[in-house]
Amino acid sequence: MMASPKSQSIDAGGWQRGGAQAVRRRLVERFVSLLCNLATVIVLFVLFSILWTLVTRGAGGLSLPTFLHSTAAPGSGGGLANAIIGSCEQTGLAALIGTPIGMMAGIYLSEFAQDGRIVSLVRFVSDMLLSVPSILVGLFIYLIFVEPAGHFSGMAGTLALAVLFIPIVVRTTEDMLRLVPRAMREAAYALGAPGWRVILNVCLRSARGGIMTGILLALARISGETAPLLFTSLGNLNWSTSLNAPMASLPVTIYQYAGSAYDDWVQMAWTGALLITVAVLATNILARWWLTRNGSAQQ
Amino acid sequence: MNKIIMDDTTGRDTLQPALAIRNLNFWYGSNHALKDISLDFPIHQVTGMIGPSGCGKSTLLRILNRMYDLYPGQRATGEVLFDERNILSPGLDVNVLRSRIGMVFQKPTPFPMSIYDNIAFGVRLHERLSRTEMDQRVEGVLRRVALWNEVKDRLNASAAALSGGQQQRLCIARTIATRPEVILLDEPTSALDPISTARIEELLDELKQEFSIAIVTHNLQQAARCADRVAFFYMGELVEVDTADKMFTAPHAKRTQDYITGRFG
Repeated sequence: MMASPKSQSIDAGGWQRGGAQAVRRRLVERFVSLLCNLATVIVLFVLFSILWTLVTRGAGGLSLPTFLHSTAAPGSGGGLANAIIGSCEQTGLAALIGTPIGMMAGIYLSEFAQDGRIVSLVRFVSDMLLSVPSILVGLFIYLIFVEPAGHFSGMAGTLALAVLFIPIVVRTTEDMLRLVPRAMREAAYALGAPGWRVILNVCLRSARGGIMTGILLALARISGETAPLLFTSLGNLNWSTSLNAPMASLPVTIYQYAGSAYDDWVQMAWTGALLITVAVLATNILARWWLTRNGSAQQ
Repeated sequence: MNKIIMDDTTGRDTLQPALAIRNLNFWYGSNHALKDISLDFPIHQVTGMIGPSGCGKSTLLRILNRMYDLYPGQRATGEVLFDERNILSPGLDVNVLRSRIGMVFQKPTPFPMSIYDNIAFGVRLHERLSRTEMDQRVEGVLRRVALWNEVKDRLNASAAALSGGQQQRLCIARTIATRPEVILLDEPTSALDPISTARIEELLDELKQEFSIAIVTHNLQQAARCADRVAFFYMGELVEVDTADKMFTAPHAKRTQDYITGRFG
């Protein structure tokens, strides 16, 4: 048990106040901050060693043909052009489909929904989607889209990515709108603004930095997904931009090449990994920059 | 100073009120927050509402522009007469009402847009003005609140960059830009420094030439300085209403006296 507080009088000690206990506290404080610093160093070390490995192994494949030629048989040159265009097309389209749906659902949850059973159901389902293993999303699209159509396609891959994309946007839109001060909404209503104008011209405008960040982060997240594409867009060794045919993508190409026995394919896998990482990193940095810029513009 | 126009024989206001509250009751759910209030807000006067926290003065203010409509479970009965209509009646267009009875809040709340658009936003909701007319309107209200000289070179800059006092004057400008007849102010200076507060108080004195003003304040000196009439609320009841002079020198009710002399609240 602790010592009785009555054993210390209020004005005891001068600069020695607290005695051994104060010394112990200072030691604990130093020890804990040391641990925190150490943890930070470990995290940064992991991050930078990944980046370093990617750059040293992947940079060798960074040449013009990599961006111009499609994947080819081992030993015959070839590049990643089809995978790059496939990734851009599928993630881009998924974002185009997912952004309006996700934002509108988020707006509904934050602005229109009275607390009730349907709302908590929507929120629950959306949160569950957020944590569903991505391979299940791939299987789901396979069952409802690929199997009825009879073939793999870029559209199926796009849909799978959109399913992953939407709940992230729902969540950030709702959260960011909830951060809009009640006073600001009331001020807009007090001018005689109808609800939709308050949401569109005041709330969304105030939350746009955060929502934009959420969209960019969601984009970064899906651009690295492999599992949902395996059963949907499958991959394609040739140049193809058709959504109705199997489509290549960087993550799937890395998955196939990295495990192969051919040195030039392994090299291409490293280069592809470097490209994705740089793209994701750039998106993240852009998102952060956007947030700080818009965050500081608000009060 | 043109203090209140009074009929000395009866001590009652002879002017027709801008707003007249009759037997108003208000509930937050099952909490009876305002009890049988009847109160007039005389035209072109500043009516101050004072009382300890939770006494219902802000609640009353938020009834006058139907702000409570935004929240379910809040209910008002009785009458608030404005321009010959009961504003509590369900068929009333609240957006039109709110353009005629404007409101300024405790914390300055500039919208996330330019200074110009902060003012144009409210005007565009109710009127279609040409670019020149809108420019004139914006300049007019900014001059009115003595902000024009400080912001005329950066009308397109974000309103968030203004100081707190400037933001609050912008919010007042935004409110009068829709040409209301009544302005409601809910502790408009409690987040401001003394100099900004003084400027807002001067402004109120000027604005009452054109608008009827209702102000809720925690600051008794402010009520004494700004208000022509003062209403004292306590626990959801209107205890006393009188001219500011009488209220602060010779209040009738014991509770008023205790409050203004600092014995509670």
